[in-house]
Amino acid sequence: MNSLLTSAVAGLSAGGAYAILGVCAIFTYRLVAVVNFTGAAIGATGTFIMVALYESGVPLSLAVPVGILAGALAALAVGLVMATWFSGAAASTKAAVTAALLVGIIAVGLRLTGGQHPHNFPDLIPGSAFRLAGVEVTWAAVVTIAISVVFTFVTEQFLARTQTGLELRALSQRPMAAELIGIRVKLLALSVWAVMGAVTAFALMVIAPQRAPDFMSLSLLVVPALAAALIGAFASFRAALAGGMAIGIIEGLASGLDTFSQYRGAIPFLVILAVLMWSQRGARFDEAR
Amino acid sequence: MKHASLKAALRTALTLGILAVLIYAFLPKYWIFLVTAIFITGIALQSLGLVTGRTGMISLCQMSFAGVGAWVTGYLNVAEAPGGLIVWIVLGGLAAVPVGVVIGLPALRLRGINLAIVTLGFAAAFDTVLATITFPGQTAFIQVVRPSWFESDGGYFALVMIVYVAIAVALEFVNRSRLGASWLAVRHSERAAAAHGVSVPMAKLSAFAISAFISGVSGGLLAGYLGTLVAENFNMMQSLALFAVASMVGAHFTLGAVAGGAMITLFPELLRRLGLPQDIGNVFFAVGAVQAMSTGETISETWVRLGSKLASRFRRKPAPVAVADVKTARPLGAPAVHQPGVALEVNGLTVRYGNVLALDKVSLKVPSRTVVGLIGPNGAGKSTTVDAIAGFLPRYEGSVSLNGRPLEGLLATERARLGVRRTWQTTRIAPELTVGDYIRLAAPGIRPSEIEAVLEWFDCPVPEAAIASVDAGSRRLIDVAGVVAAKPPVLLLDEPAAGQSYAEALKLGDRIASIPEVFGSAVLLIEHDMDLVRKACSDITVFDFGRVIANGAPQTVLSSPIVQKAYMGVELEEQVA
Amino acid sequence: MTELTIKQLVVARGGIPVVRGIDLTVRSGEISVVLGSNGAGKTTSLEGISGIIPAKGSILLDGEDISGQAAGIRARKGLRHVEQGRTVFPDMTTEENLKVALAPGASLEEAYGLFPELVQRRDIKSAMLSGGEQQMLVIARALVGRPKVILIDEMSSGLAPVIVSRLMEAVRKLADGGMAVLLVEQFANLALGVGNRAYVLRRGAVVYNGGCEALLKDPARLHHLYLGDVADSVAMHA
Repeated sequence: MNSLLTSAVAGLSAGGAYAILGVCAIFTYRLVAVVNFTGAAIGATGTFIMVALYESGVPLSLAVPVGILAGALAALAVGLVMATWFSGAAASTKAAVTAALLVGIIAVGLRLTGGQHPHNFPDLIPGSAFRLAGVEVTWAAVVTIAISVVFTFVTEQFLARTQTGLELRALSQRPMAAELIGIRVKLLALSVWAVMGAVTAFALMVIAPQRAPDFMSLSLLVVPALAAALIGAFASFRAALAGGMAIGIIEGLASGLDTFSQYRGAIPFLVILAVLMWSQRGARFDEAR
Repeated sequence: MKHASLKAALRTALTLGILAVLIYAFLPKYWIFLVTAIFITGIALQSLGLVTGRTGMISLCQMSFAGVGAWVTGYLNVAEAPGGLIVWIVLGGLAAVPVGVVIGLPALRLRGINLAIVTLGFAAAFDTVLATITFPGQTAFIQVVRPSWFESDGGYFALVMIVYVAIAVALEFVNRSRLGASWLAVRHSERAAAAHGVSVPMAKLSAFAISAFISGVSGGLLAGYLGTLVAENFNMMQSLALFAVASMVGAHFTLGAVAGGAMITLFPELLRRLGLPQDIGNVFFAVGAVQAMSTGETISETWVRLGSKLASRFRRKPAPVAVADVKTARPLGAPAVHQPGVALEVNGLTVRYGNVLALDKVSLKVPSRTVVGLIGPNGAGKSTTVDAIAGFLPRYEGSVSLNGRPLEGLLATERARLGVRRTWQTTRIAPELTVGDYIRLAAPGIRPSEIEAVLEWFDCPVPEAAIASVDAGSRRLIDVAGVVAAKPPVLLLDEPAAGQSYAEALKLGDRIASIPEVFGSAVLLIEHDMDLVRKACSDITVFDFGRVIANGAPQTVLSSPIVQKAYMGVELEEQVA
Repeated sequence: MTELTIKQLVVARGGIPVVRGIDLTVRSGEISVVLGSNGAGKTTSLEGISGIIPAKGSILLDGEDISGQAAGIRARKGLRHVEQGRTVFPDMTTEENLKVALAPGASLEEAYGLFPELVQRRDIKSAMLSGGEQQMLVIARALVGRPKVILIDEMSSGLAPVIVSRLMEAVRKLADGGMAVLLVEQFANLALGVGNRAYVLRRGAVVYNGGCEALLKDPARLHHLYLGDVADSVAMHA
């Protein structure tokens, strides 16, 4: 029992990462109506630019903001592609486009970062915060979870209370009606992308030292991220937050059991399958067609 | 139709055969080895083309299916199972089928995006599983044994070509069958497909199953090609890259699959010779895919378009989109004989959308072999009625019966098969079909001569014309022609004349009026043009605010004050009086 | 003084030309009423004018041809299209719906002045409003954007006559306040009662162009224009 708890706690850090990526996925879907497969890859871009700067001697206090900015710019580039050519496209076409873009981003990323070549990832937030069930809970895990909670809370408040938040909600509920009352739809959409890129980049910087830190592995965090977003039905930030944490903890539990530890990578898939089978049980036709 | 498939299949087989002989005779050994990889990849691309290009379901785990096929082939090799490589490859393909079906199951109810997530998740899961269990023989370096006939690289090339041609030919037949047309129909509009009696789950599941089989075969072939395999051959990145290439080239076309295979195989080779890093090929594929999706036209389609443009320049007379010649009218065949009496009866139909009462205890009757008009202002509930009758609403109160048989509890597909057929306010014909394909989809088992006759009767283009080349006004006529050709007991036509000019609308009105006599069907017609309604209908029912406010003969009903009030506002009747 | 002049407008929907070359004019202080049965091309005309779907022909707003511009730019130049179907932002409250559309210098009181009914509903989610209230909200939402021209599509559909009258009266007020209003309606009489100029469309073409009053006094003619026999109406147009 105690060892199970230990394993569960060990999954907290991953859970925090999945949560924030899941929340970002919903953020993008709700506000600009794109199921984004490039989310984690965009974050990875920012992260690796930070690492490159750090490795060439730039102090972290500068490298981190530049990396975050790079994440925002990468997201902006993807957003520009989506807003320019695919603003009126079907949701599944948009998703397909981001899947294709993911291929390109990973290829460029692997090329520039030297594939599996190990990098010197700085621990942005080093050290252990406290012990729980005999396991060190790192500050990185605590901060990741904190970021995801804060981002969820700030986003909810921003949408509820500011004029820009109102415009974003209008845009997400009825894009055409929003455009017809003169809201600057494209500008808003691009800002959403930029914010998403910045947040993802920072989140990945914090957790990268705990993951297999190559560009591809970080980019493929999109799978648990989308699983978390599905738990939130691509609508509820809080459910995605909880869902991401849950996936991390289940993964942690699985790694504690010898027979399953090798297969823990399959857990997001099983979660996705279960969530979809449950949530779509009543659906018959594709609503859009 | 058999004839056309046979011709296309022969052409495909012959072209590929000649190509294979030329490659075998003239290319050096190293190149034959490379070209073999092109066609193995081409097979994988064909499998993706079927599920994504034809049926419109995003699959991001196609190489995982190939991995299943390869793993089984490797396992049978290590186990020295009887039958040799060819049998193992087929078994590998079959082993991928249940996997494909399991992945496809959520697709029965899912939208494209969710399916993309499921398949990507599966690709990731398969990666970890494969990394753990490894390929049979991988650690002991046991090579997959090729059959003695096909042992050399040249021989193996021949085997791959034989398999490629067999699959391409089989797909030609399937694509031109009703199943193939139903895939395109599902991709374009699931509801419209169901309205033709196509079982949407069966269409999707069959696409996934066949696709997984083909992909599994490509994996088995790869096992024989390389001898030993590693997990990286089938990882998620390979699936994603395959998806990008398929989106770029249009893998559901024979030409596209070969071109895509060539790109995937030769691009790294080209980059290597240029001294460039090989992995930037994927960047090119990503850009190409995005470009293709933004224009909605794949490379294959561009080539075909440019090719036919070039060809027409050399031809003397450009082939016009011929409208069937009315003078040599072909016989339409006898009208269907349906049960006399009331064909369609709606009783106390009530539909709620949330708090809004869309239909309130509506009743109407359509006697067999008559045309009944359904009119009323916007939002009166006319289309909702059609949706309810045809089975497209999740729930309603009241009853709908066809020839006295209640339809409650039957799905849209089942109602269509029983003979409640409908058209849509906006045309939902898959543009990739030909006119003839569409009529066959709408009226299963119809004879070719009858197809021509029905098209002539409606002044539609010839069966060989591609839907994409037909103007929108004619598409609406083809839409009507399709359901009429099926000669069902009941036709529900939802604004068939929308967008037609006044003269065209009146002509269509004449035709609709004679549908019962010529085809034997009863018609419920929703229409706004009162002149058309007068021409076509023997009886009309008027809706307002979800209720029946009048019904009877057209002249009487249209001049009644209550109808004029519904149509034009509240005070008119006083002034008329 | 604002004038919106439409010349030779052609709009296709899914490849089918639904509007086949119509001319319309609307001026400050006036309501131009566009009538016609369903499928006549009324809604499609408005969508072509506001830029939701591409259109051919010229759209002159105070002399400037805005026909090539995106819908958002046309909106920011002072065109407001109140779409059919009461397109409130459903998860937002009444007040939020108004706030999001507020032009600099405009106040919510303008909206509440026109529709006092909305004041007590200000904190209710707009999805929960009645159909009439939602229609009031979308008109008010257009108003607080301080537009020059307002296009209103089928505001009466599915509403009780007494509410339609109330809406018509409010639209008249808008025009009297100096706005140019293009009002698309299926219910002829109420619209003709408040309008200045009338157009009747049939199958994408204008079959009547003249004063509202003249048409209102001639119900037989209106009956013909709506319910056929179309021969007369074509002759009338010629």
